Parts: sequence; C-alpha cells; structure tokens
Amino acid sequence: MLKFRDYSIKKKLTLMNMLVSGVTLLLACVAFGVYELATLRSNMVKTLSIQAQMVGANSASALLFNDAKSGENTLSALKAAPTVLSSGIYTLAGEPFAVYRRGAGGFVPPIPPMPAGQTEEHWFADKELKLIRSIVFQGKPIGTVYIRSDLQEMNHRLVQYVGIVAAVLSVSLTAAFLLLMAFQRAATRPILQLAETARIVSREKTYSVRAPSTDNHDEVGLLIEAFNEMLVQIQARDAALQTSQEELEQRVTQRTAELDATNKELEAFTYSVAHDLRAPLRHIQGFSNLLVESFGPQLEPEAKKHLQRIGEGTQQMGRLIDDLLSLARIGRQEPRLQATGLNSLVQEVLRDLKTETEGRDIQWQVGDLPFVDCDPGLMKQVFYNLLSNAAKYTRPRKPAVIDIGQVSWEGQLVNFVRDNGVGFNMKYADKLFGVFQRLHRKEDFEGTGVGLATVQRIIHKHGGRIWAEAEIDKGATFFFSLTSQNDGRQRANGPEGGKNGDGKRT
Amino acid sequence: MATVSGMSRHAWRRLSRHTHFAAVAFAVTLVGTCNLSAQPTKITEYKVKAAYLANFGRFTEWPGTDSVNKSESFNICVLGQDPFGADLDSAVAGETIGGAHMLAKRISRPQDAADCRILFISSSEANQWKEILGALRTLRVLTVSDMPQFNRRGGIIQFLLDGNRVRFDINLAATERAGLNLSSELLKLAVTVSRSP
Repeated sequence: MLKFRDYSIKKKLTLMNMLVSGVTLLLACVAFGVYELATLRSNMVKTLSIQAQMVGANSASALLFNDAKSGENTLSALKAAPTVLSSGIYTLAGEPFAVYRRGAGGFVPPIPPMPAGQTEEHWFADKELKLIRSIVFQGKPIGTVYIRSDLQEMNHRLVQYVGIVAAVLSVSLTAAFLLLMAFQRAATRPILQLAETARIVSREKTYSVRAPSTDNHDEVGLLIEAFNEMLVQIQARDAALQTSQEELEQRVTQRTAELDATNKELEAFTYSVAHDLRAPLRHIQGFSNLLVESFGPQLEPEAKKHLQRIGEGTQQMGRLIDDLLSLARIGRQEPRLQATGLNSLVQEVLRDLKTETEGRDIQWQVGDLPFVDCDPGLMKQVFYNLLSNAAKYTRPRKPAVIDIGQVSWEGQLVNFVRDNGVGFNMKYADKLFGVFQRLHRKEDFEGTGVGLATVQRIIHKHGGRIWAEAEIDKGATFFFSLTSQNDGRQRANGPEGGKNGDGKRT
Repeated sequence: MATVSGMSRHAWRRLSRHTHFAAVAFAVTLVGTCNLSAQPTKITEYKVKAAYLANFGRFTEWPGTDSVNKSESFNICVLGQDPFGADLDSAVAGETIGGAHMLAKRISRPQDAADCRILFISSSEANQWKEILGALRTLRVLTVSDMPQFNRRGGIIQFLLDGNRVRFDINLAATERAGLNLSSELLKLAVTVSRSP
C-alpha cells in the first residue's frame, strides 16, 4: 500500500479536503445531535410534567373524596399519550390510589421517594423516564402522581436523526467531492503540467519545452514562471555552448587545413631542394672521379686520400638526398591498398639484404605472417628499413639473432622485428622516430636519421601505430600495427604484392 | 482502564441510589407506622363524612360572599344530634379555606344557621325537615344530610353508603335555589345529580 506522502498531489488534495469537510460536517452533526438530544430530553420531561400536573389537578377531588374510579378515569386519559407506560396516583401515605397501565406488561411499582423540599423529580433509567409529582390542592399536598414513560419516541427521533445525518453527510461529501474535482483541476493542473514538463526535460534532455503558464499569480504561477525562465537560460547556454563548439571545430578544421597546406609546401620545398642539390653533387662526384682517373698517378698519396674523402662525403650526401626525397614522396602520395602476403614481402627484403650482410653471421627467424591490406611497395620499405636497421645494430654480435613475427598485443595482432643488438636507452624512445634524430654515434653506426621517420610515416599513412622497446646492450624490438590487420580482412590466400618498392637503405 | 473505571463509577452510582432509596423507603414506613398507631385503628363512617364536609367547602362557591373577612371563620355547622363527635373538630382543625379558618359549630335551631357555610342536618331532625328547609330558604348555605330522601325534599347533598364507601348525591335545583355554585369536580364524583325541585 502506498503511503500518504507518496500519493500524487491530486490524491492528497482530494483526501485532505474530503477528510476536513467530512470531519467538520460530522462534528457539526454531532454537536447538533447532542443539542437535539438534550432538547428532546428536556421536552420529554416538560411534557411528562405537564401530564403529571393535569392528572394531579384532575384527580384532586377524587383523592379528597376517595373515589378511585374517578381517579382511574382521569388516568385513563393518558391513553392519548402513547409513550406513557404506566401511571399511578398515590395517597399521601404512599399507598396506590389509582393505577393506569398501557398493555399487559406494566406493573404498579412502589412509589419512589420524593426528595425533600421538591414538588417534582424525574429520572432517566432503564430506558425509561420516570417522574413523580406532588398533587397540591389549594396549597396542600394531598397525594403524588407517578408516570413512567418509555424513550421510544426519543429513540425513534434519534434513529431518524442518524438517518438524516447519514444522508446529509453522503450528499454533502458527494457535493464536496464534485466541487473539489471541479476546483482541484484548476489548482493542480498547473502543478501536474509542470511535473510533466520537468519529466520530459530530464528524460529527453530537451530544453525547448515550456510548462504551460497560467494566469494565476500564486506560488505555482511563480514556480512555473521561474522554471520556464530557468529553461530559457539553460537553452541559451546550451546554444552558446554549441555555437562555441561548432566555432572551435570549424577553427580546428581550418587550422588543420592550414597546417596541411604548410606541410605540403614544406614537403614540396624539401623535394625541390633535395632534387636541386643532386646536380651539383653529381658534378662534385663526377669531377672528383675524373681527377682520380686522369691525374691519379701524379697525385700525392695524401691528395688521393683527400679525394677519397670527398667521394665518401658525396656518396653520403647522395644517400641523404635520396632518403629525403623518399620521405617527401611518401608524404605526398596516398597508399594504394591491396591484399599482400607479408611472408613473401619479408623474403624479398631478405634477398635484397643479402649483399649488404655478406660475411655476417645472422640467424633470421621469420614467423608465420598474415595477408594484410596495404601498399606493397611502402610496406616493403618498412620491412627493409627495420631489417637493415636490425642487421646494422647487431654488427657486434656473433651470431646476430633477428626475429620477425606476429604477436597479440592488447587484443590486437601486431607485427614485430626483434634483434639482440646494442639496443638503446628507453629514455630517448620518443626521439627514435624523429627526422635526423640519431641515438648512436655516426662513427659507430652509419645512417642518415631518416629511416625510422620514413617507417613511422608509412605506418601512420596506413592508420597504424609503431613503437619500440629496448634495453642497452640487450637488443631492441620494434612493434607496428596496421588498422587493416584489425578488421578481420586478413586472408590466408591472396595475390602477393611482390612488387619491389623503391626501398632505400637507412 | 477507562471503561472499567467508568463502569465501576456507574455501578457505584446505582448502588448508592439503591441505598438512598432503601433508606428513604424505610423512613417512610416508620413514619407511616407511627401515624397509623396514633390514629384509631378503624376509620369510622363519620370520620370520613367529617372530612367530606370540609372538602365540600373546597369545591363550592358562595357568590356574593367572596370578600370574606379574614377574621370571619368558615363555619361548618351541625344541626340536631351530633353524630361526629370529635371527628369533625379534628377534621377542621388547622384547616383554612380562602384564608378563613374552618370552625365546627353545633346549632339546635335552623335560625342559628345564618353564619354557617355548610350545614349538616342530623337524622334526628328527619321529622322537621320541612320547617328546617323552609327556614333555610333565604340563606346561602350548603345543606348536607344522610337522612333518606333528603335530596328529593330539597336538600343539596345527601350522603350514601356504597358498601363501605361513603358517596353522595347532589340536587342541582336545590343548589341553584341556594345560590351556590358547585364545582364540576364535585358533580363528577356524585352518584346521581338530580334536578328535583
């Protein structure tokens, strides 16, 4: 059962009002009832007293002349009073003189005593009203009248009254209920509508709704006004927030576009610079070679050594230019995705690395690699750079062990290349993929510092991620993922993109 | 608790009322016994008649004599041989009627009845009834007697005996002749109300 405080306002109001009017009416009816009862009793006593007086007056002569028959005649007039049960005239000595009984059930009771100094006394007892009165004739008491009356009339009136009260109560309460329904609608409808609006707002998070306003200037009217005002403010704030968010997004888009444009410009600049640097470099290389071929025998060994240094320098610079060009190209082209078998791709790279690793003791351990959707040329460059890096930094190891495989990483299949080389300090892991960033001395390990940057750019172009874990002198592991590896598009069979990309050494 | 104490209070009230009632009833019985023992054991016929004589006065009007002088007494006279003895005196002793004291008088001649309101004519005067009533013709006096044929001869009230009970007849014509008004209460109690001349 619901508790009163859980009832809806409508029900509460109805209950309260019905209770109040019911209790008020009942109290009023009870008060009237008590008054009515008191009046009824006093009237009954009055009537009985008058009857006793009349009997007394009319039976005085009978008493004085000892004529019981006459007394009984007088008493028999009480037949007209239906409530009188019995009556008696008693002599001064208290002996019955004349008796009247209604029906057979009555009896002549002994006369109750008259309190001293009184001429009349009455009692309500045993559902009867009893009254005795002295018969006084010419200032002298000559006997006593005794009348017993039942309370049937009073009870009848009471029953009638209770009936009337019940009728009045039910009619009044019904009328009150109907009126309440009529008035309550006016009083509670705004509240109910307000509650409904609040419910809609909290459920659907729409701030455009409004509670229907009323013409009432009462507390509910104020509440509705305040509520609507609040909604207006929330809506305004919401709108402002959305506007600023849109503005922000627009600005981000704009900035991104600007950034892209700048990036493109930069790449174009890099490309043209690198491209234009090639021609003078070719001149330097060509004329150095010409100098050695034409004037080799005449040159001092010291000069020859210098020329060799020039040659090495130009070669180094050529590689750098090539790498930069490659990096720039990757930035400008979109990867052309096709199903590619990574296994055969790795085998191709290993074949290309054969001359470079001539004479080295390297154990290549290639695991089972899947088919993925990727740009085969770019992916081959990724493997080329990673594997040649691994070969480079394992140079002090005999044997060098290089693992290529696939592993599950946080619920995602990622590829890895692991070596047992010199490793690096994880402190600098974030610099690993930056252009021209090198963690080792050029004297120990040659390189341009562009290779890993290229790898990262390719992986990013494929929507993937690359990271590394390493420890100094204990080797390094490079992990990379491709989004295409994630969406279940790996296939056991498929055309192998065996096309050789323009892989460059790092 | 409340109902118990309420009930016990009610019971107590009833008990005390009964006690009260019983005590008063006992007292009344005692008084009654005392009264009874003080009076003669047998209520005689003339004792009743004496009381009736006094009571007749209470139901009779004497027009023209309303302005009764307070000092004047209300005389109830007995003509002839007195059958009442002390009963009449005790019946009127201390009684007043209209402010006047009742007094019992014995007279021997009807002429002496001038200041009598009620005159009881003894049976001893039965032979002289004509003379007596003739002498009383001009007086406003309520004549009462227990001699037979009294009413038919012009008397106003005649006592009768109905078994042990004393009753009476009334002659209205005689009443009117005497200029008296009898109360209907009295007429109601009469065995017969005649209009004999």
